[in-house]
Amino acid sequence: MLQLQNVTFKAPDSKTKDKTLSQKTIVDDVSFTFEPGGFYTITGPNGSGKTSLAKLIMGINELSSGKIMFNGKDISALPINERSNAGVVYGFQHPARFKGTNFRDLLSISAGTDDEDTLARIIARVGVCSMDFLDKPVDGKLSGGEIKKIELATVIARNPKVAIYDEPDTGIDLWTIGPMVDLLKREQKENNTTTIVVSHNKAFLETADTLLLILNGKIAYSGNLKGAIPMLEDLSVCTFSKSCQGENDDRCYR
Amino acid sequence: MIDATDKKILKEVADLEGLPKGAYNIRKNGKLLGREVSANIKIETNEKGDGIFIDIKPDTKNESVHIPVILSQAGLHDTVYNTFIIGEGADVTIIAGCGIHCGGKESEGHSGIHEFQIKAGAKVKYVEKHIAIGEGSGRRILNPTTKIFMEENAQAEMVLTQLGGVDEAKRYNEAEIGARSVLLITERVMTEGSQMTESKNEISLTGNGSKSNIVSRSVLKGDSKQDFYVNLTARAKCYGHIECDAIIMDNGNNQTIPALRALHPDAELTHEASIGKIANDQLMKLMSLGLTYDEAVNRIIQGFLN
Ligand SMILES: Nc1ncnc2c1ncn2[C@@H]1O[C@H](COP(=O)(O)OP(=O)(O)O)[C@@H](O)[C@H]1O
Ligand SMILES: [Mg+2]
Repeated sequence: MLQLQNVTFKAPDSKTKDKTLSQKTIVDDVSFTFEPGGFYTITGPNGSGKTSLAKLIMGINELSSGKIMFNGKDISALPINERSNAGVVYGFQHPARFKGTNFRDLLSISAGTDDEDTLARIIARVGVCSMDFLDKPVDGKLSGGEIKKIELATVIARNPKVAIYDEPDTGIDLWTIGPMVDLLKREQKENNTTTIVVSHNKAFLETADTLLLILNGKIAYSGNLKGAIPMLEDLSVCTFSKSCQGENDDRCYR
Repeated sequence: MIDATDKKILKEVADLEGLPKGAYNIRKNGKLLGREVSANIKIETNEKGDGIFIDIKPDTKNESVHIPVILSQAGLHDTVYNTFIIGEGADVTIIAGCGIHCGGKESEGHSGIHEFQIKAGAKVKYVEKHIAIGEGSGRRILNPTTKIFMEENAQAEMVLTQLGGVDEAKRYNEAEIGARSVLLITERVMTEGSQMTESKNEISLTGNGSKSNIVSRSVLKGDSKQDFYVNLTARAKCYGHIECDAIIMDNGNNQTIPALRALHPDAELTHEASIGKIANDQLMKLMSLGLTYDEAVNRIIQGFLN
């Protein structure tokens, strides 16, 4: 069980000059419990705080206040690697690119072994990346989709108890989204992985047991998809209405 | 005779467990320690007696030459001039390198001036490692110079490595690349403490269809200092790229000065350069896979220099 208790993240507001005085609240007093083995999809507009929340859970962002409990233990002060060892693993929205590190290196670190058979089994289990990915450098030359597949595989290779995937579907081709959803569902079912996916994709919204809608750093809704539809539709309405001169006009601001 | 220190140095610079297979020339403290030639590879002391002349017959395939240098005599500053002729159509590997063992207060140094004449269609891989070990406090100085002349359709890959121990290094690489020839240079340097290195490169793409890629990877620990200069000059329709990256770990000081010069309208030259601390997103990623901060730093540096 992963519990967020009044979790808040503030950062200096880049818009104001005096950084010490002005702080912007990015994640605002969020409390929520992720049940073991549940499938959660987090959605919400760009900049609403989804990635920031995920990074708080992983320990990449430092809590400004609040507490994170994992299986009864307070992990709020644990460094990233200790949270990872405890079973919480985050797949980055924008995965790091390296010089001189290939997929095999990352996968070996994640799996804790560089044994070829073990790596082959992981790749077969993940499915979305082939064996010939292994020796690909994880550098700037990888396409957006390729690096996201690699990111996904490195998370799964750790056998996480809680897996957080931050927009795993961006850059992924149409034909891979289905298998990716199936994979995460299978991981959830077979290993009882608490699965948290940040996504706007219909496929993930429909798959989730529970949907979380984040607005301005707060959970604006949590529950099933049906209940979220009015709010989601509301959000899809153009917010430029005041200055709008009509959608077909060439001065549409969207 | 080869003693324990020599063995250690040979292992480090040339990855040798014993005497190498094939042709070799081992120099120790300015003198010849051992030499072996092969049917296709001739090694002779040059006329002036200040270096060797290595002649590789045309079409020699899959052979290697080891030419390590050992320096363990206090106060000695050894300079050698080595000339390599790589015959037409040959395909060979040359393992060079210098290891200094410093046991005393006096400085020790080696300046190796290597000249390569790479004939048409020849392919050569040149691997050079520099190390310095020992408890002595004397400065360890290595100043290698490499001059490369490539005819047409030749390929050369130079892998130049200096990972710690050397107090002072001034490197100079010069190359002229003929038509459709390809030159790849990769330089990897790690400095620490108050060590300093300087690398100057003058690369000229002379022939039509010539190509060059120059890669420099630097890691600076402690208060060390590294300067890297490249002048890449295009005199024909050609392609050239420079990529230099430096990671500053502590209080290091780095200058990277890549220059592109097109003296031909069909030249294509590019460069990318970066200097900075170890990237945070890389650290976060590796830590999220379970590595501690220090382990993550080591892995990133190891990969970067590999
Ligand atoms: N460390 C930080 N310092 C300042 N601003 C930040 C920081 N991290 C995120 N933000 C800002 O917080 C907002 C939410 O970002 P993010 O969590 O990435 O949103 P989402 O993932 O929902 O698109 C954005 O406006 C972003 O610029
Ligand atoms: Mg995000």
